[in-house]
Amino acid sequence: MLGLDDVHTYYGNIRALRGVSLAVESGEIVTLIGANGAGKTTTLRTILGTVRPRRGTVTFNGHRLDTLATDRIVRLGISHSPEGRRIFPRMTVLENLELGAFARRDREAIAPDLERVFALFPRLRERVAQKGGTLSGGEQQMLAIGRALMARPTLLLLDEPSMGLSPILVDTIFQIIQDINRQGTTILLVEQNARMALRVAHRGYVMQTGRLVLHDAAGALLRSDLVRKTYLGEK
Amino acid sequence: MSPGARRALQGAALGAGLLVYPFLDRSLGLQTVHAVSDGMIYVLLALGLNIVVGYAGLLDLGYAAFFAIGAYTMGLLNSPVLGSPLYGYRWSFWVCIWLAAGVSAVLGVVIGAPTLRVRGDYLAIITLGFGEIIPVAIRNLGDITIDIGGWRPIVRLNLTGGENGVNPIGRPHLPGVPFETDPVPWYFLILVIGLASLWAMNRLRDSRLGRAWMAIREDETAADCTGVNPISTKLLAFALGASFSGFAGSVYAAKLQAITPGAFEFQVSIMLLCMVVLGGTGSLTGVILGGMLITLFDRVVLTETTSMVRSVGRATGIAALTAADLTLWRWFFFGLGLVLVMLLRPEGLAGRRARPLAAVADDTDDPAALEPAPRVETIPGWLRERAERGGVVPEAAPLLEVRGLTKRFGGVVALNEVDLVVPRGAVIGLIGPNGAGKTTFFNVVTGLIRPDGGRITFEGARLAGLRPNAIVARGIARTFQSIRLFPQMTVLDNVLVGEHCRLAATVAGAVLRPPAVIAEEARARARARELLAFVGLGGKADDAARNLPYGDQRRLEIARALATEPRLLLLDEPTAGMNPRETETLTELIGILRRELSLSVLLIEHDMAVVMGISDRITALDYGTRIAEGTPAEIKRHPRVIEAYLGAGYEQELAARTPAR
Repeated sequence: MLGLDDVHTYYGNIRALRGVSLAVESGEIVTLIGANGAGKTTTLRTILGTVRPRRGTVTFNGHRLDTLATDRIVRLGISHSPEGRRIFPRMTVLENLELGAFARRDREAIAPDLERVFALFPRLRERVAQKGGTLSGGEQQMLAIGRALMARPTLLLLDEPSMGLSPILVDTIFQIIQDINRQGTTILLVEQNARMALRVAHRGYVMQTGRLVLHDAAGALLRSDLVRKTYLGEK
Repeated sequence: MSPGARRALQGAALGAGLLVYPFLDRSLGLQTVHAVSDGMIYVLLALGLNIVVGYAGLLDLGYAAFFAIGAYTMGLLNSPVLGSPLYGYRWSFWVCIWLAAGVSAVLGVVIGAPTLRVRGDYLAIITLGFGEIIPVAIRNLGDITIDIGGWRPIVRLNLTGGENGVNPIGRPHLPGVPFETDPVPWYFLILVIGLASLWAMNRLRDSRLGRAWMAIREDETAADCTGVNPISTKLLAFALGASFSGFAGSVYAAKLQAITPGAFEFQVSIMLLCMVVLGGTGSLTGVILGGMLITLFDRVVLTETTSMVRSVGRATGIAALTAADLTLWRWFFFGLGLVLVMLLRPEGLAGRRARPLAAVADDTDDPAALEPAPRVETIPGWLRERAERGGVVPEAAPLLEVRGLTKRFGGVVALNEVDLVVPRGAVIGLIGPNGAGKTTFFNVVTGLIRPDGGRITFEGARLAGLRPNAIVARGIARTFQSIRLFPQMTVLDNVLVGEHCRLAATVAGAVLRPPAVIAEEARARARARELLAFVGLGGKADDAARNLPYGDQRRLEIARALATEPRLLLLDEPTAGMNPRETETLTELIGILRRELSLSVLLIEHDMAVVMGISDRITALDYGTRIAEGTPAEIKRHPRVIEAYLGAGYEQELAARTPAR
C-alpha cells in the first residue's frame, strides 16, 4: 500500500533520513520506534510531502507521492495526527473536527463519523463548543486524532498519540488504535512508548539517526535485546 | 590575514571613505552631500524604529509622529517665529536636541503605557491613529484662541506655525564651523551622531535589555514566566525608539531650517518601516543599508534619471519623455522593490537567513552517547551557594501553601477548592486525568491566571495579584507542557534571559558599561555556560534553540528555569515525548536538584514510574477537585485514583516496566 524506497531527506545540510526503505501493507498497524531526533517525524513529513526527499521514492497505491502537493496526498486517503497537537486554537472542537472532513465529498457520511469520534472520545463531546486552544494538552491530543479520523483515511499516520495522556487514556488510545484498524484503516504509528506500540502493532521498524536498523514482527522486536535495552528501558 | 586584522582594515577603509566622501563629492561636483546627510537622518530614525519593531517585535505604524514631536520641540524651543526664550543663544541647539529627545521619550511613555497592554495588532492600529493625530494637531495649533463667554485667556496663540510651519530655526554653533547652507559641516555632525547612536545601539542589543526585548518578541508569555516584565520592557523599547526619533527630528529641523506638517505624514512612517523591513528586521547593517538605499533612490537616483530621461526626450523630440517626472512614481518603485525583496529574500537584504528546522544534528549512531547523564560534580558552584544561603530561612513553614484555590472558566470549574502544600526540599507529584486542571493549577500559582478564590502563600508571603515575572523574582520557576523556548535566540541567550531578573544593568549601564556591568555580564555568561554543561548542553551554547532536538529543548527549558535561581521548580510533564533512556536521565537530574540543592519540585507527570519513583507525596485531581493526597504507595492503591486515572491494568504495567526496582 505504502512504500518508501531508499529515501534521503535533508534539512539544509543536515541529513535527516539516510536511505529509508519501508513498506506498509493494507490492513496493518506498523510502528516506527526510535529516539528523539532519529528521523521518525521526518519520515511522516516526507510521506505527507511537507518536506521533499532529495533522493528515493514514496509510493501509495501506485501513486508517486514525492512529487505531489500535500493537499493532493491527503485526498488520496492519507491523514495525519501531528506531533504536538497542531489543532486550530481559535476554532471550536466541532469546527476542528469538521475541518478534518474538508476534503471529503461524501457529505452525508460525515455525521455518523462525527458520532464515531465522539464515541471514541466522550470528552470531546463534553467540550464540543469550546475553543481548541482552551483544551488541556491531553484533550488537544484527542482532538488531533479525532480530526485525522474525520478524513476517513485509508492510511492514518499517528505521531506520538500517547504523548501527554494519563495512564488510563494511554490504554484507551491504544485500544482505539486497534479498533480503528479493525474497522479497516491501515496505520503507521510513530511512538516513544515502544512497549505499547509494539503490543498493538503487527510489525515494527527501529530507527536510529536517520536509518532503519531493525525490522521484524512486533512480538519479535519486543524480545530483541536492542529494543529491550534502548527503547523499553530494561536493564 | 587574521579575521581580526581584516575587520580592522575594513573598518579603516570605511572610516576613510566616510571622511573623504564629502570632499570628493565637492571636487567632482556631484552635489549629493545634502541627500546623503538626510539619508543618515532617516537611518537614525530607522535605527530607533528597529528597537521597537526589530527587537521588541511591536508593530508601530505611527512612528513619524515622534519625528514630528522632536522637530517641533526644536522649533518651539529655538525659533524666533514662535517667540522662544531660548532662541539666539550659542548653546541653544546643543541643549535643545536633548530636550527634544526627552520630550519624545516622555510622549512615547504616555502613548505606550495604555496601549502596550493590548495585543500586537491593536497596538499597530493605535499607533496608526496616533500618527494621524499629530500632523492634524500641528496644523491646527498655529492659531489658538480660547473664548469662554467673553473671557479670553488665550488669544491667537501660535504654537506650531500651522500650515506654514516654522522657519527659521536656530542653528548649531561651534567655533570655526559654519553651519550654514554648506552641507559638509552638517554631514559630519550627523555622521558623529549616527555613529554614536549605532555604538549605543550595538551595546544595548548585546545587553540584558536587548535580550529581554528579543525574548518578548519571541514569546511574551514565556518571557513573563522567565522573569522579564513585559510591560516595562516594551515601554522602554517604545520610549527609547521615540527618543531616537525625537533626536533625529530636532537635528532635521535645524538642518532644514524649516518644518511643515507635511513632512511627518503617514507615508513617512511607512517609508521608515520599509527601510527596516527591506534592510532586514533586527539587523543594524540591514537598517543602515535599507535607509540609505531608499533615501538615495528617492533623492538622487529618481531625480537624476528624470533629468536623463528629459534630456533624451529633448534630443529625440519625444514630448512624453521631456515632460516625464519619475519622482511622481516613487511609491510605485518602493512598492515594487519591497515586493521583490520579500519574494526573493524575505529576511531582508542583510537579515540573517533563518536556518531550517533540524531533526538530526549528530552523526553518532549510538543513541546512548547522545544522552549524557547529569553528574553531581558538574553542579554549578553558585547554585550550590544559593541553596546553602537559602537554608538560613526558618524551615518550619512550608515553602508553598495553597488553600481553597478555585478557578472558573465560564461555567466550567477548572479548580475547585484545591489544597496543596510543598514543604522545603520536597518533590510533590500532581497527577490526574487529562483536563483535570493540573496545568491550570500551575498557571494560577505562576500568576498567568487570576484565581476566583483561595490563597497562595510562598515563603510566608501572599502571592495574590503578582504578575508572573514578579513571582519568578520571588523564587518560583516553571517549564511548559508544550516547550516554550525563545526559538530564534541562541541556547546561551535563552539561559541568560533566565538570569534577567537577577541582573541589574540599566539603559545607561548597558550603553556605558561601567566595570560593575562588565563584571555582572561576564559572571552571568559564565553561570549560563556552567548551567548548560550541567544539563548536558555544554557544546551547543551557540546553536539556535529551535535547532535543538526535542530532548535537548526540554533540558534547555529546565536550565533556563534554573537560571532564575528558584527555590521552587514547577515542571509540567517534563518527560512527555521522551524515550525511557531520556526519561531516566531527566529523573536523575531532578533527583540531583533535590538532593544537592534542596530545591523543591512540583511535578505534573503521566509517567508513573517517574512520579511514583521520585515524589515524596502526590496530589491527584479530577475535574478540578482533589480526589486524593498521600504517599506514592497510598496513591497507587487509592480506589478513586485507580478508577479515574490509573486504570485497572496499571499495576501489571508498572511491574513490567521496572523489573529491577
